[in-house]
Amino acid sequence: MIVTVAVLAASLAVRPVASQDRTYKAHRTADGKPDLNGIWQALNSANWDIQDHSTAPGPWAALGAAGAVPPGQGVVEGDEIPYLPAAAAKKKENFANRWTRDPEIRCYLPGVPRAAYMPHPFQIIQGTKTIMIAYQYAGAVRTIPMDDPGPSPTDSWMGWSAGRWEGDTLVVDVTGFNDQSWFDRAGNFHSDALHVVERYTPRSPDTILYEATIEDPNVFTRPWKMSMPLYRRVEKNAQLLEFKCVELSEELIYGHLRKKASK
Amino acid sequence: MNRGLAGSMGAMTVALALASMTLVRVDGQARSSAAVKAPAKTWSQPRTPDGQPDLQGVWSNAAITPLERPAAFAGREFLTEKELADNEKALQPRTRESAGTEAHYDFLQYGLDPLQAKRASSRRTSLIVDPPDGRIPPLTPEAKKRAAARAEARKQTGPFDGPESRSLGERCILMAGEGPPMLPEAYNSNIQFQQGPGYVAILQEEIHDVRIIPLDGRPHLGPNIRQLMGDSRGRWEGDTLVVDTTNFTDTTNFRGSSENLHVVERFRRVDEETILYEFTVEDPTTWTRRWKAELSMVKTKGPIFEFACHEGNYGLANNLSGARAQEKAAEEAAKRSGK
Repeated sequence: MIVTVAVLAASLAVRPVASQDRTYKAHRTADGKPDLNGIWQALNSANWDIQDHSTAPGPWAALGAAGAVPPGQGVVEGDEIPYLPAAAAKKKENFANRWTRDPEIRCYLPGVPRAAYMPHPFQIIQGTKTIMIAYQYAGAVRTIPMDDPGPSPTDSWMGWSAGRWEGDTLVVDVTGFNDQSWFDRAGNFHSDALHVVERYTPRSPDTILYEATIEDPNVFTRPWKMSMPLYRRVEKNAQLLEFKCVELSEELIYGHLRKKASK
Repeated sequence: MNRGLAGSMGAMTVALALASMTLVRVDGQARSSAAVKAPAKTWSQPRTPDGQPDLQGVWSNAAITPLERPAAFAGREFLTEKELADNEKALQPRTRESAGTEAHYDFLQYGLDPLQAKRASSRRTSLIVDPPDGRIPPLTPEAKKRAAARAEARKQTGPFDGPESRSLGERCILMAGEGPPMLPEAYNSNIQFQQGPGYVAILQEEIHDVRIIPLDGRPHLGPNIRQLMGDSRGRWEGDTLVVDTTNFTDTTNFRGSSENLHVVERFRRVDEETILYEFTVEDPTTWTRRWKAELSMVKTKGPIFEFACHEGNYGLANNLSGARAQEKAAEEAAKRSGK
């Protein structure tokens, strides 16, 4: 009880959040924190391309409309990703080869923030000392400690997270990435100097405003930001299902090492 | 990490356990689950803010006790204290070398040796407590036919023809100990519990799989959704978490199981450092009766690091390309001797 009061007092002492209209005050958990528990999903085409994009053919002509890239308004504020010149060239090259090089095709872990806008739900499970985010895609998972875990001991796909509350907003500072994941299927990428700051702000009982600030001095000239709503999966008995996609990628990864049928 | 040895490491664990029955005393006090008394009067069950018994944190279920009782211990459920102590002294670090190459695998080097794992000590001679002989019950005739068909199918192909020739563990799809039921892994046998209102989530380090278990009494998934790890539903019975899992696939193949596998697990935190874990396995199309096992998990230092198994699976690629290289060399040798 005393601990809860002390924590509440501490969170009120933090500087106020950015000037957005925050009239909604989230429901509280039993230990007095904003309640982000639940199953959430983005409803946009950011996973295809985080910038504005028109309808376009997909990788398989035979699938026609069913395999097409849907149109979408981008999630990047200002719609501009400030690449350094050499990095801009690399992005173009990634885009030209996206149907073979996108790590999603190999069922590789999606990294952050891409995990938040994959076309799969994810679940937030709020404990007292840590917040877990479990993603349906490839069983990706992150545990976010709410007390300082220190610097990242090693690189990883999903990064090294540290969480804190700023008012009703969960702020997650993520470092310790490797350079392997992409931000989308369009070839937007980063180096292992990537630093992401996520903000999860409840904006109504069934929606969260999700913002992610991207910083990577090896790739971008300045930090940039994306934002989107996350929608609660309100179906009765909604649950994450098993999307173990490794088997689906094996032909692509190991096919050339398969024993050839004897002549 | 050379995952190519992973498949044989599981076998090695069993072989080593059978050979030496090495049981390690962690805290100077041998504990078997039969001897787990009611918690000391000064310890009370911690609770989450929404009133669940608090299991949260990182726990190790490493064990050297084998699942099944070795023939040498037939009729004996427990070792003596002296046998346990002798086994501890006899425990040697595991190294493995490949004759004629420079390849070696030193488990100690990366903290992967069972000597280095925190684990509950136990005088049990097997994890299985029922049937009383400590062995998995016999297969049904139907299951024997299934196993024979699988063995026959395997004969049609070589052990390294393609990725499907290898185990689910080696392919980084599912580790043998993930289950459910959850069994000790050769190394990094760590489990994290996370609890929120209405849910318990169980994260296993290998292979970063999370079972998210609803506690609201909802029914299982319908019969047409099958999952490698099944579909789990939980409830609290007093301070014991009971988890019921169905909807397995027929490729899960836990010790020969079919898609009718049904697992019931029970978790009870018995003191600050220990969770007692019991599980019952049944599948009337596989075993003639159900069977039950138990082991303890001990609190260990977190966090659990990312186990990006598939992303770093050089072992599988190396195994397959090595087999292709051996075939090519054999072909060329045959050509040369044929001339």
